Amino acid sequence: MIAELLFAVFFGLLLLGIHRKVIARIQRRPGPPVWQEILHMLKFSFKTTWVPATASTALFCGVVLVAIGIWTAALVVVLSGGSLLVIFAIYMLHKIVEHGFGLSSGSPYGKFGGVRSVISAASEIPLFVSVAAIAIFTQSLMITDIIAYQEINGPLLITVPLAALAMYVVLLSKMPFGPFSIVESKELVSGYKTEHFGVWRAGLEVCNGLKTYVLLLTFILVFIGNLPFWLVILAMVIILITLSFVCALSPMLSPYDSVTVQTLIAGLMVAYVALLGVMS
Amino acid sequence: MNKQYALALMLVSAVSAAGALALNYWGILPFWAYAAVLIAGFPLFLLGLGLYWMAREGEADMPFLGY
Repeated sequence: MIAELLFAVFFGLLLLGIHRKVIARIQRRPGPPVWQEILHMLKFSFKTTWVPATASTALFCGVVLVAIGIWTAALVVVLSGGSLLVIFAIYMLHKIVEHGFGLSSGSPYGKFGGVRSVISAASEIPLFVSVAAIAIFTQSLMITDIIAYQEINGPLLITVPLAALAMYVVLLSKMPFGPFSIVESKELVSGYKTEHFGVWRAGLEVCNGLKTYVLLLTFILVFIGNLPFWLVILAMVIILITLSFVCALSPMLSPYDSVTVQTLIAGLMVAYVALLGVMS
Repeated sequence: MNKQYALALMLVSAVSAAGALALNYWGILPFWAYAAVLIAGFPLFLLGLGLYWMAREGEADMPFLGY
């Protein structure tokens, strides 16, 4: 498990680097090297670290531990075939973590990032909808059961494509530089993570790598099924590149528009699942 | 920030995780307990290592609070 954990951190960061590179090439920029996010994590580890004078020390430090801890837990749950509900509970906890990051430093930029994180909670509703659609078909939310169902009945991506689309929107809302990335918008400097520098930011980078890896792996296991390792890696890169295309070709929405669009998507998905429930 | 605390934190978490791995491998510790030690220990190890390496022991900084 320790080897898988270290692989997830570095491969997740590599995926984020590929994301930046693809966006840059679409926008006809050279872009950073694909290992840039790994270098970022190492760079922040080498920087002098302290706690700002205006920060709440316990929250400022503790929230970094929680951020890494919850995504480590998510990785353990996914790899051991645990419940999908735990993954989604951790996804929701991440919102609280972002809020904690923003509020802990005493900086207004961080606070605005934290507040935006809370108002963008609408992005979680499509997640519940995709869980409901899966439960209708598989009668279970254990990842092992969902994989077993797909081995007999084929991928859920074909059975419930709109539920897969709902989760794709959730992935999109967590990708940097995307249309829904209002928490890290440039008018807020770096949003909720503005004042977390040095080792704290390195910890946050580790969290981001783990989060990206876990969310993509969950999508593949839940909607495509169990694949050989090299195919999982390939599928992750392909899904990531499609996300990068969306991020590169769509502008970042204003906070109001972002919440409105996510709520509309959630509404459509709720109607879809209600229809599925009636038909099944 | 006291670097000795950071070093102790790093060592305790690393030894705990390695011990849990070994005990799980020999069938003494159940998987959930090993996972719990890993989930708690990994963040502590990372931050302990980083703080021991680069934490400043002097005055804190005042962040930019706007115009």
